[in-house]
Amino acid sequence: MRDAPVLLEMRAITKEFPGVKALSDVNLVVRQGEIHAIAGENGAGKSTLMKVLSGVHPYGSYTGQILYEGTESRFADIRASEHAGIVIIHQELALVPGLSITENIFLGNEPRRGGVIDWKTANRRALELMALVGLEEDPDTLIKDIGVGKQQLVEIAKAFAKNVKLLILDEPTAALNETDSRHLLDLLRDFRQRGITSIIISHKLNEIAEIADAITILRDGHTIETLDVKADGVDEDRIVRGMVGRELHSRFPDHTPDIGEVFFEVRDWTVRHPVASDRLVAKNASFTVRRGEIVGFAGLMGAGRTELAMSVFGRSYGVYVSGQIIKDGREIVIKSVSDAIEHGLAYVSEDRKSIGLNLLDDIKTSVVAAKLSKITKRGVIDHVREHQAAESYRSSLRVKAPTVDEPVTTLSGGNQQKVVLAKWMFTDPDLLILDEPTRGIDVGAKYEIYGIIQRLADQGKGVIVISSELPELIGLCDRIYTVFEGTITGDIPRRDADPELLLKQMTSVKKAQRS
Amino acid sequence: MSRVKELQKSLFGGNTSNARQFGMIFTLVAIVLLFEILTGGLTLNPGNLISLVSQYSYILLLAIGMLMVIVAGHIDLSVGSVAAFVGIVVAQVMQDYAVPWFLAVLIGLAVGAVIGAWQGFWVAYVGVPAFIVTLAGMMLFRGGNQFIGNANTIPVPEGFRVIGSGFLPEVGPDTGYNNLTLLLGLVVCVAVVVREWRGRRTRREMGADAAPMWISVIRVAVPLAVIVFATLQFAGGRVGTSFPVSGIILGVLVVIYSFITRNTAGGRHIYAVGGNARAAELSGVKLKRVNFMVMMNMSVLAALAGMIFVARSAASGPQDGIGWELDAIAAVFIGGAAVSGGLGTISGSIVGGLVMAVLNNGLQLLGVGSDRVQIIKGLVLLLAVAFDVYNKKQGRFSVIDSLMRPFRRDTPTGPASSSEAGQERGKSPVAG
Amino acid sequence: MRKSVVRGVAAAAIALLTLTACSQRSEDTATAGGSAESGAGFPADSLIGVALPAKTSENWVLAGDLFTDGLKEAGFQSDVQYAGSSTTVADQQSQIQAMVTKGAKVIVIGATDAAQLSTQVEAAKDAGAVVIAYDRLIKNTQGVDYYVAYDNFKVGELQGQALLDGMKAKKPEGPYTIELFSGSPDDNNSAVFFDGAMSVLKPAIDSGDVVVGSGQTEIKQTATDGWKAENAQRRMDSLLTSTYSSKTLDGVLSPNDTLARAIITSIKGAGKPIPVVTGQDSEVESVKSIMAGEQYSTINKDTRNLVKQTIQMVKDLQAGKQPQINDTKSYDNGVKVVPAYLLPPQIVTKDNAAEAYANDPTLAPLTK
Repeated sequence: MRDAPVLLEMRAITKEFPGVKALSDVNLVVRQGEIHAIAGENGAGKSTLMKVLSGVHPYGSYTGQILYEGTESRFADIRASEHAGIVIIHQELALVPGLSITENIFLGNEPRRGGVIDWKTANRRALELMALVGLEEDPDTLIKDIGVGKQQLVEIAKAFAKNVKLLILDEPTAALNETDSRHLLDLLRDFRQRGITSIIISHKLNEIAEIADAITILRDGHTIETLDVKADGVDEDRIVRGMVGRELHSRFPDHTPDIGEVFFEVRDWTVRHPVASDRLVAKNASFTVRRGEIVGFAGLMGAGRTELAMSVFGRSYGVYVSGQIIKDGREIVIKSVSDAIEHGLAYVSEDRKSIGLNLLDDIKTSVVAAKLSKITKRGVIDHVREHQAAESYRSSLRVKAPTVDEPVTTLSGGNQQKVVLAKWMFTDPDLLILDEPTRGIDVGAKYEIYGIIQRLADQGKGVIVISSELPELIGLCDRIYTVFEGTITGDIPRRDADPELLLKQMTSVKKAQRS
Repeated sequence: MSRVKELQKSLFGGNTSNARQFGMIFTLVAIVLLFEILTGGLTLNPGNLISLVSQYSYILLLAIGMLMVIVAGHIDLSVGSVAAFVGIVVAQVMQDYAVPWFLAVLIGLAVGAVIGAWQGFWVAYVGVPAFIVTLAGMMLFRGGNQFIGNANTIPVPEGFRVIGSGFLPEVGPDTGYNNLTLLLGLVVCVAVVVREWRGRRTRREMGADAAPMWISVIRVAVPLAVIVFATLQFAGGRVGTSFPVSGIILGVLVVIYSFITRNTAGGRHIYAVGGNARAAELSGVKLKRVNFMVMMNMSVLAALAGMIFVARSAASGPQDGIGWELDAIAAVFIGGAAVSGGLGTISGSIVGGLVMAVLNNGLQLLGVGSDRVQIIKGLVLLLAVAFDVYNKKQGRFSVIDSLMRPFRRDTPTGPASSSEAGQERGKSPVAG
Repeated sequence: MRKSVVRGVAAAAIALLTLTACSQRSEDTATAGGSAESGAGFPADSLIGVALPAKTSENWVLAGDLFTDGLKEAGFQSDVQYAGSSTTVADQQSQIQAMVTKGAKVIVIGATDAAQLSTQVEAAKDAGAVVIAYDRLIKNTQGVDYYVAYDNFKVGELQGQALLDGMKAKKPEGPYTIELFSGSPDDNNSAVFFDGAMSVLKPAIDSGDVVVGSGQTEIKQTATDGWKAENAQRRMDSLLTSTYSSKTLDGVLSPNDTLARAIITSIKGAGKPIPVVTGQDSEVESVKSIMAGEQYSTINKDTRNLVKQTIQMVKDLQAGKQPQINDTKSYDNGVKVVPAYLLPPQIVTKDNAAEAYANDPTLAPLTK
């Protein structure tokens, strides 16, 4: 593969934003027909590099050269790069939820006859493209009615509608479950067979190691190295070493759990879907948490883990039907989020940007947001205490920010997640529910978050971790529940947990509880 | 650039909406000086300042409530109609039942509260968008005004007129000035000094380096100079006139609401709801209650504004309140609030409102017709917001600014940041 | 730190006190300029303010232009302002206030809402300006000095008479079916027009010779908010639907031309024959309409004469003379009887249009 002709060469790319050099002297060589991965921690410059390539940052706003198909390209905008066959698929999908699959595939690129959209051709071509990406759906289905995995495929079909030669995927599997991720990776291999070149940006190093032909590693806006996967025998550890510039001994901090008695129990929890009232999102779910215990919730996307957690957390999802919550031996009734906080529950949501944080806030305002009563006297905020509280979390959680007055938008994903954790630690919870606590966070920050979770458990708190990454659950949790269609299908202690068993329980209704 | 920013930060405080305010204050000063020159000194003459305050206090009053509505992510189109409705109700009860004026004011506020509860109910508990609820309210209460008043103009008694056209009385020895206005000015001066002093103390308690002394001096001296000048102008008007009662009502409310929005849990909840409603809800904020209170508060303030206007006009008429909502909304946006909610300050809105007021007044003093005044005001609104959008794109003075700029490692402003950084390196397990 | 607080407060106090010493606060600026009653007059190049309502009718625009030119010709500085189209009352209030600030000696006010200007008028009075109410009487204030207008009761009488004459000319025998329209309820003149017209129509209605088809004879029922054409048109539309699907409408009493045309538009839209419609103001479009045989009559209240008369009063005041008035008892504004000068109006139909507008450069060509 390494001897294939060069399709794209980016030479000495330097891009500056006011006050910061995002890329300095970056080089990238992508050969015809390969899958080229770009790896690097958050803020390393991966996305900026792709924005330069796709014309989001137009020619003139950077220095350096882009040689594409042998000639120098100067893209003025995205249309120009798309015209040349370079299509980028962003992490946040650019689909219109209220339009159909066909309409989305041809959005802005509609086949026309005499200025009028030619729906016959559009539908025919849509079916062809859907077959190409392995999407089996009625092309008239609305985007909002299909899952994230299928939406991703629609994005790719959309790219093909534009005669793509170089496909760029930014974190394509971040939001996908195992099965959908698998399917997507297979699809990329399939494209390679057809001679389509792809660039993939991903935090999931196992995927990169598995699928990529070449990996370019960026760190702090510099090219560190380009690895030839087959020739160099690259594995995950090798990539990590390049990304962080040092060896990472273990992906999880050492930890000896100190587990106490059961203090929190949910019994026969049943919840209806908020809109479709005949659908149950949780069915007779029962689980327990002990003091000092880290409990994992494993399940496929849509299995109802988040729904279950949020409904327990002050009925903030769905319609409560039945079930009991017992804490410290007494039944408690939680009807609202403020009740939940009052009873020592905390829920760190899976989507920190859309529901976890107010992105207009600064760090200190975010940290105290869930328990203002701790810093108010008769309703009046004590700014000194607010500052001190935020400051203590900034230092204990090692949030990388000069002051707590910094807006949260300036922080990297990992540091934002630390702020969200601080916000909930500030409420002095007995039970923390962490929903996908490390999604979209780079390796170094993940390690730190794991450490924080373990410390919380050591303080005698109960911690529930919901995650789609099985290795994470196995590495971190003392016990793992498997969830399938709103029902708990398994309760597996750490020593028995392995991906195969978990997957089996996650996909079957058969009760395997052993309590 | 960064030097300017640092200075700005120390003079006006750090965050971005303050930075926007910084720009607006300069705009205001520039406009005042411009008209002062163009009108040959009429703009800052006592008579004009006094009439400026009494003419615009009710609009600024609305801007306070509107700021909170907009920060919470809503809009209120009904304020003008609500004001007119309350105005006619109050005028009518005083005329028909000889209700004493202070009782009439209470009735007016109560009517405002009931209207606010009605609108708040639909917005918060039924979930109808505020735009629709208040559009309906705009028609509903305009019609109500005409229904009750038969589209007549109803005069109000002398006592009631105090809240709209009254002045501080002349008491004490003849100093050549209105003594109570002088006293008021002195109180405000003391407040400014005390506030700065307490601010320094707070910063020290936070462990932050208090700004250098000279910055505090500037922060006190400039406002003091302005206040002393204003006090003398207001106190030095024609005998019988002084700082208007409506201006005092406005001032008191500005202070109270600034405190509420900045320093109370309730105020912070408004920003939280406007910034990210779902996140606020998941942090235990009672979303419905916040929305209800914000809408209700707006109508109460609209009621007050309506009464002040009626008092000033000496009568309640069918044309009262037309277009007020737009003036209030414009003031809020010129003052730096975000269209999508979550951002904005009371003081910013007041400055925004004053920009519009001074502009209007100055152009009228120059004899510019109301048609051209409207054109100019429209352009100013557009340019003020466009300027901010442009700045955001340029990465200056704005939220986006901070998005584009990873935190600066060399920033010296962080309290105790150097010692922390040392610790950080020492402890970090990944740093090995 | 405490020290600096004390120092700051002290500095402020001292500043206040020192400046207090050089106050130049005036008891009443009027003493400097001279008031209306003193007969002292004022400099010939003084500022004269003219505050007019929004530009909703041609007449106000014309009046504004005439004031600007006439005052300039007489050697005065003028400041002629119209209220904005939406925020009329508040606009006019602040415009008057601005004129006071600028030291206007005489302020001529065509009020938007005659009852909501007392604060400003009194402020003008206190500042020593003379206030002349132009066309609309300002209510509930001692501050208004003079009133200049056409005799509006007479206008109403002429309109009522013209309506009867017009209908008789078309159809010699009654009974006649008519509809009544009146002006904006916040305009003092609306009731005067209406009462004048009714003084003529009432006997005919009582005798059964004239029938108001809809039965709406109260001024509240017939009012047109804000003198807005759209409101009149809307009311006519509904009247046509409710009352005249089968009946014939013989005449409509309209208080002015703008409304008259709106009424005619409505009737034409319904495909009905145009009845006798009265009007007022001699607006260009209406004169055309009269010549085309659609609108029946208008009133010629030549704005030129009214403005000329007003400027004459300003000149008299400047010279320290008592301005000419011809009515000292009819116009009670609620707290005082305002001395007035009333000009006689003239009814214009197709028959006398050429003669009536002979001196009007805009209207004269239309009548040929």
